[in-house]
Amino acid sequence: MDPSATGSTGVRVAGVGMTPFESDSGRSLTDLAAAAAERALADAAVDPADVDALHFGNALAEALDESAGLANALAAALGLDGASADRIENTSATGASAFHRGVEGIEGGAAGGAESDRTDVALVVGAEKMSAGDTSDVTEAISRLVHRREYAQGITLPSFGGLAAGAYLGRHDAPREALAAVAAKNHGNAVDNPVAQFRKPIDVADALDSPVVAAPLRLYDCCPMSDGAAAVVLTRGGDRGDDESVADAADPDSETFRAPRVAGIASATGTHAVAERPDPLAIDSVRTAGDRVFDRAGIRPDDVDVACIHDAFTVLELIELEELGFYETGTAWEATLDGDTALDGDLPVNPGGGLKARGHPLGATGLSQIVELVWQLRGDLPETRRVDGAETGFAINVAGFGNNSVCTVLRA
Amino acid sequence: MTVSNQGVRGSTDDGLPADHAFVCDDCGRRWYYDRRSCPDCGRSSADASAVRLETGAVVATTTVETTPPDVRAPNHLALIRFDGVRLIAQAADGDLSPGDSVRFDGSHRLREGRDRTDPRLVAVEDP
Repeated sequence: MDPSATGSTGVRVAGVGMTPFESDSGRSLTDLAAAAAERALADAAVDPADVDALHFGNALAEALDESAGLANALAAALGLDGASADRIENTSATGASAFHRGVEGIEGGAAGGAESDRTDVALVVGAEKMSAGDTSDVTEAISRLVHRREYAQGITLPSFGGLAAGAYLGRHDAPREALAAVAAKNHGNAVDNPVAQFRKPIDVADALDSPVVAAPLRLYDCCPMSDGAAAVVLTRGGDRGDDESVADAADPDSETFRAPRVAGIASATGTHAVAERPDPLAIDSVRTAGDRVFDRAGIRPDDVDVACIHDAFTVLELIELEELGFYETGTAWEATLDGDTALDGDLPVNPGGGLKARGHPLGATGLSQIVELVWQLRGDLPETRRVDGAETGFAINVAGFGNNSVCTVLRA
Repeated sequence: MTVSNQGVRGSTDDGLPADHAFVCDDCGRRWYYDRRSCPDCGRSSADASAVRLETGAVVATTTVETTPPDVRAPNHLALIRFDGVRLIAQAADGDLSPGDSVRFDGSHRLREGRDRTDPRLVAVEDP
């Protein structure tokens, strides 16, 4: 479609970087974050001294007895003296919320005020070190995200996934293989992704044979716990022809121009208690944030070439695709079985492996989706995992089981 | 009974029993998950009343095998629609199916190490 027909925030992603996602990195939280940040700065050809603002997303540091004052520690480690810095927390959607704050910081600065006060370059970093606690510590920390009356019943996020999966399969008369097909697809997509936590392919039978976690969900229907970090450099720069960009890589007049622009970003909250939703398969935060971002970007779901969907559980990929309007209600499972969401399908979904196989370090996940989209839109990736000709990318990062959703549209 | 919400939000141990919902004294709206005001009329929940839930219908079920250390494994859970509220609660066993009628019954420690006990969901044979 004609890029001039779409909306834009006036913000570009000038550089991206991330660490591998893994079960135990053996590195400190600050080390992980700094490594991703340095890769993003190098990718953008931005000097740390030119960074005006740092936004650091992390969800669990306090719950897992890690350090506090994270943004300030990272600013010092990177030599960002004088930059503004803050910490963002939004449970599983922490990374996308940090990205949202970064975009807003640049956009807000464009509205007025002295040039010396405005943010031209923002560094957004998300990191998590879930190996800082043992499995029961992390499970307990995450289970505290639910409403306290849900907590009293011993409910965890996989509990919601199991309830939703059972309801989805029953209502739409879908086979259990439909969920397993999501897992097999996303694991397959991660095989050639060097930053993915799981690079071993699985098939539908493997997923169906794995241990039950929350019936009907099995182990391969659920994302892992992960260590990892992802980062992006945001710069001011509107449509092509705008010469205000700071980094060479974001200079629209440069021959090396390859900084996708943020065509739209939006977030929305939903009910905190999952049971309060009129329909267990309706996630208002997903639908609302999606409607908003498509409106702001001036596009429709049909215009999206590649999507990163928050597949913390396989059933969420199906529900979100339907809530966002990519598929009619009750049809995403058939599309998945038909290969529509495969790398070579009509709508490639989670080409980097998704949360399922790339991993889910809470604070980094949303930013890793942005990193993946940027790689896809710039055509940086090898043919085995590239969506050819992708110009419009979509990402959704979800907090809790739909308490809050953040949607982003990027345009090449 | 009339609910003083003082303490309801104080800790996870002193809220309403699992088989009770809030009801607005002004408009009669019910809600289960405590909040600061009635979602319909906005009246403060500080002087809401509590109502015991009678019979509900199962919407969805799951059995969770991997549970927190202080929660039974497996943990049978059901999403239930009662009159005016929906909730997720522990079921006595894993035999419930969507469409079944249920009520709360018994006295169980839902998480180990807590003083309070609450009822679990059981099937109603002849609703």
